[in-house]
Amino acid sequence: MRRILTATAAFLMTTAAFAQDLDSKSAADLLPQAKQEGKVTVYAFTSRIGRVEKAFEAAYPGIDMVTFDMSSTEQIARIKSEAQAGLAGADVIYISDAPVVLTELFANKLVAPYVPPRVAGDLAEGFKSPLLAQRLSTKVLMYNEEAHPQGSPVKNLWDLTKPEWKGRVIMVDPLQRGDYLDLMTEIVLKSDEMATAYEAAFGKKIELTDGNENAGQQFITNLFANDLVLVGSTDDVNKAIGAKGQEKPPIGFTSYSDRRDNEDEGWALQVANDVAPSNGIVFPALLALNSKPANPAAARLAVDFMMGDDSETGGDGFKPFYVAGDWATRSDIKPHKDAIPLADFKGWQMAPEETAKIRAEVADFILALQ
Amino acid sequence: MTTLLGPIGSALNKRGLTLAMALALVVLVAAPLATILVQTLYPSSAAWGDVLASRLSQNLFWRPTINTMIIGLGVAAGCVLLGGFLAWLVVMTDIPGRPAIAFMATLPFMIPSFATALAWGTVFRNGRVGGGGGLLEGLGFAVPDWLSWGMTPTIVVLIAHYYSLAFTVIAAALATVNGDLVEAAQMTGASRKRILFGIVLPVVTPAIIAGGSLAFAGAVSNFAAPALLGLPVRMQTLSTRLFGMIEIGQTERGYVLAILLIGISAIFLGLGNRMLSGRRSFATIGGKGAKPRCFALGGARLPLTMAAWVICILTTILPILLLVAASLAPSSLSLFSDWTLHYWIGSSDPAFARGQPGIFHNPLLLSALTTTLILGASVALAANIIGILIAVALTRQKVPVLSNLVSQLSFLPMLLPGIAFAAAYIALYGAPIGPLPALYGTKLLLALALTAAMLPFAVQTGRATVSQISGDIDEAARMTGAGFFRRLGAITLPLAARGLAAGLLITFVNVIGDLAITILLYTPTSPLLAVLSYSYASDGFHQFANAVTLVILIISMLATGAATLLRGRRRQSFT
Repeated sequence: MRRILTATAAFLMTTAAFAQDLDSKSAADLLPQAKQEGKVTVYAFTSRIGRVEKAFEAAYPGIDMVTFDMSSTEQIARIKSEAQAGLAGADVIYISDAPVVLTELFANKLVAPYVPPRVAGDLAEGFKSPLLAQRLSTKVLMYNEEAHPQGSPVKNLWDLTKPEWKGRVIMVDPLQRGDYLDLMTEIVLKSDEMATAYEAAFGKKIELTDGNENAGQQFITNLFANDLVLVGSTDDVNKAIGAKGQEKPPIGFTSYSDRRDNEDEGWALQVANDVAPSNGIVFPALLALNSKPANPAAARLAVDFMMGDDSETGGDGFKPFYVAGDWATRSDIKPHKDAIPLADFKGWQMAPEETAKIRAEVADFILALQ
Repeated sequence: MTTLLGPIGSALNKRGLTLAMALALVVLVAAPLATILVQTLYPSSAAWGDVLASRLSQNLFWRPTINTMIIGLGVAAGCVLLGGFLAWLVVMTDIPGRPAIAFMATLPFMIPSFATALAWGTVFRNGRVGGGGGLLEGLGFAVPDWLSWGMTPTIVVLIAHYYSLAFTVIAAALATVNGDLVEAAQMTGASRKRILFGIVLPVVTPAIIAGGSLAFAGAVSNFAAPALLGLPVRMQTLSTRLFGMIEIGQTERGYVLAILLIGISAIFLGLGNRMLSGRRSFATIGGKGAKPRCFALGGARLPLTMAAWVICILTTILPILLLVAASLAPSSLSLFSDWTLHYWIGSSDPAFARGQPGIFHNPLLLSALTTTLILGASVALAANIIGILIAVALTRQKVPVLSNLVSQLSFLPMLLPGIAFAAAYIALYGAPIGPLPALYGTKLLLALALTAAMLPFAVQTGRATVSQISGDIDEAARMTGAGFFRRLGAITLPLAARGLAAGLLITFVNVIGDLAITILLYTPTSPLLAVLSYSYASDGFHQFANAVTLVILIISMLATGAATLLRGRRRQSFT
């Protein structure tokens, strides 16, 4: 028995040392082992992963990248069940929903951090720990610029609760997609700013109605009461707001970067940046490893690839994400020329740990509304 | 071989088979359900309180329950009316084209309900979601919300899907109405009304209740229709709530909802059974009389024929045509213009549909197709083997308590919404049990859950088939010393082959169209066609979703056609 224990301990120590060893290797040094592994599985929260797959396989022939496009919520449920079942489903996890990832996956060691040494110097500390952030994404107020050529018809979030927007504010059900729950949570966290904005919108101090403890909750209550339209996916939101030829298009919360599809889809999506107190949230897209990856070297190689190469725009690995409305976390990647610079963007930058504290409470609060 | 099987066979002769089947049912049906019940009862779990008695219960339980009940009762009533009407026309009247109507009326059940829901959307969706609308808005009509979303479309879509069940059951019962009795009544001068209420209705009442119950059970547990049509107006049913709770990780609340949903269907179906058993004496009135007499429809013939065909076309051909059009048209606003095959066979073009290639270029399609076919075939086989064994056990062995248990357990999955069932399977078999490995994310788990879900159909088919085989032959074989397996192989199976094959195909069709169970249990490495279609739809790629759905439909229709051929003239033998 003791021998087995010692052997296991020794084995565990070597794997730990081995993992550290891999962590410090450069992409070129990882390659031979990655080739031997021959495969890497990626769970990703965006359909853009399909293009990453093609680019990766072109860059590293012989390593098969298998990708799955799943919502963050679905990934989290799967990773938990897979860990319980002792399966290593994905090697690399590309995910948003940071509050849940940090508290439920990272804290329980279901995912492990990895920062490719090549890019570590170009990342601010907050983007390296606890997990690597690859880019910043958004869930912000967007409108139809064809119908509103003068700019956003909404200058204050509280406008959305006014009768003129009844039945015309659209978003994804926050009880089905974590990003939208994070947005609602952030609004509650920023209750003081919401209260100030209320005064600006209505010219009087906010009065909380029964059941609402702060301005953020009051806003959510009023928004739902104003016949908020819920749908199942961001694409439905984009289509609803963006489709051209609409006389009275709805307005709603979606990703700033989805503006990139305007031309292909015949949309007229535009971000409403000049909104008090804020137009929504800016949150990180995280890259992490499975804590027991089946293909440890190929997994690291894939993360390295997705962080972009050393060119100004990050090259092929980063290309799908080099769009207006997504901001690279790497300081050496040039900001996209068509986008509002991050510094001028009104979105609240989310603090995942703070969000995690009251997220479940906000979920229950919303459940009580719909 | 014989010597080896001898002892087992002789043990099975007595009560062993029943015992073995009871065990199988405990593993497949009872254990998963017990697991979720136990998990919600841990003292640390607040789930029951949250669901039933908190500020959340209004939206978590009561409103979804009320919606579920309205849908269930509405669909049951609609199905009985529609199915009963068609059954009456086909069996009791001289309406022209009866075989064709009878065939068409069984088809809608083979069209997955999400396909019907998508078809509804292509016509009736309005600008509430999506920058445009459906066909009607494209033509310039303003479609109100209540017609586009929520309760009304859900009920209509589900009636269109489930009325086949009521039709099949009621038609079978009407066929047993004793023609002699009707004739006698007519000769003594009874009015049509009198005949209808005095003779026909009493005979078919059990079938009406049974058909209504089946439709009710199907409707309350349906996920696809309320999920696709209800969310934009924030209508939740127990099954969509249950799905949402499990999706965002609040599994215990999800389990509680599952148990409540099972309880509600059980109560209603139990009531139906109660009414049935009270009236059982009527069911035997048929006897061996003359063929049912046909009512001459006279002047009503034309309008009634038209009505029947309109129903059939609206619920079978039209949804299919709409899906075809919607899989070809770039814009949902003008379904019949600019058709392109891109969504089927186009290669990836960044300027079109965000670079999504046509479904036949999606590497997942082929693997989904193979997985779906293999899964469908193996589940059909497994479920029907268990089904026929259960049927043999129930008809040939009467073991006190055990027989009853087997009969009840094998029907239980009928009451269970697929989603609740899938949740229970994850709870029990998702983690390792002792030395057995965890089944989460494996096809085996999916296959087991689907097998269990299909048991009610399989057992039903099995019983219908086995009961047609005279016990005398089996008895004679046993007297000459043939063992259990010998008799099963030499007598039961050959004689039952035809009915079994039809049963297999029907199970197969049910499996490949299922979304409720597969949506929670599919493995990301090998999605199924139905899941692929659903994920296309939820990513906003409706044309692709419709195209995949059509692939499922084509396979279903081929299988249904084969089943019809196999069944030959005994067209009313299923369910």
